Amino acid sequence: MNNRRTRLLVAPLFALLGLVAFAGPASASGESVGACMAHHLDEAVEANHGDLHETLEDHHVQDELEKCFEAPSPILPELNEVIWGGSAFLILFVLMVKKGFPAVKGAMDARAEKIRSDLDAAEQARTDAQSVQADYEARLADSKSEASRLIDEARGAADQVKADLMARHEAELADLRTRAAADIESSRAQAIADLRAEVAGIALGAAERVVQSSLDAEVQGRLIDAYIDEVAGSNG
Amino acid sequence: MADPMVSGYADALFAVAAAEGDLATVEDELFRFAQALRSDGELSSTLADQSVPVSRRQQVVEDLLGGKASATTTALISMVVGAGRTAELPAIVDALVERSAASRNKAVATVRSAVDLTSDQRDRLASAINTRTGKAVEIKVVIDPTVLGGVVTEIGDDIIDGSVRRRLNQLRESFR
Repeated sequence: MNNRRTRLLVAPLFALLGLVAFAGPASASGESVGACMAHHLDEAVEANHGDLHETLEDHHVQDELEKCFEAPSPILPELNEVIWGGSAFLILFVLMVKKGFPAVKGAMDARAEKIRSDLDAAEQARTDAQSVQADYEARLADSKSEASRLIDEARGAADQVKADLMARHEAELADLRTRAAADIESSRAQAIADLRAEVAGIALGAAERVVQSSLDAEVQGRLIDAYIDEVAGSNG
Repeated sequence: MADPMVSGYADALFAVAAAEGDLATVEDELFRFAQALRSDGELSSTLADQSVPVSRRQQVVEDLLGGKASATTTALISMVVGAGRTAELPAIVDALVERSAASRNKAVATVRSAVDLTSDQRDRLASAINTRTGKAVEIKVVIDPTVLGGVVTEIGDDIIDGSVRRRLNQLRESFR
């Protein structure tokens, strides 16, 4: 991984170094119109032994000077630039083919592999998540069914308790009614008995007072005589 | 048979009364005094109260009977009270009366009535009881106002109830 990254950094550095190193000679081949004319004029004056006038009249010199006014071709570069440029291009191309391309390809492959592994991991995570979700949903369904069952059981138990309480209350109510009826009947009988006893007491008290008031000596004597006759009459 | 102590005292009282020669009077007075003790709880408790000195209790007896009963009767009752047998005196007198009657080959018929019976009624009642039970009896009358009217006769364990009280009780029962 580190090796691949080093290759990626080294390849552009080589290209930049080529451009800087071989640019100097290519730009040094071009010179200004005046310098060109001065250079050809010096050579022509020297060839004519210093006779400037003659030199200027020489048609050959004039053609040479005319050439200094001609612009370089916009399409065809200078030969030295072609050489240097081509050499740099070849060097860079070789370097790129040998070093850069494998490095980039490795990085791309690694990236693709990483993306593929990430995708696989994501797929696995999605599968896991789906499994977890399914499990969760299953548990949720189980929980719902369990809750429903518990609710049903609780409702059934509540109904049973309610039925039991109702039955017990009915029984207690019936017992209370029976006891109340018995108490009422007992109270009624007791009241009647009390009333009868009260009436009897009053009647007997009145009768006793009447008897006492009527039991004078004569009546007492008759009662005793009647008793004696009764004893004598009931033999045995 | 009665308690030996009771019968012993009854024999003693009988012997004294017989020796004094006034058995019928003494017997009748003792019987009346015994009935008074039965009906008067205050008198009975006073004469039986051990905290009261014997002499004081005997003085009460003499104050009660002095001039109303014979000297023999008063002396006998005073003797029993002095012996601390006041509570048993009614039973002793009953035994005495029975013994006295037995000595004459008779039984005792205790007759309770609101009013006293005439001698004629006593004789006729004794005759009627003799006719009914075949026993010769001596009538001992107890005045009992609760009888209201009529007579209740007790001969041993037999009771012949012809009282107004009984009829009122029957009437009360019929109301229930």
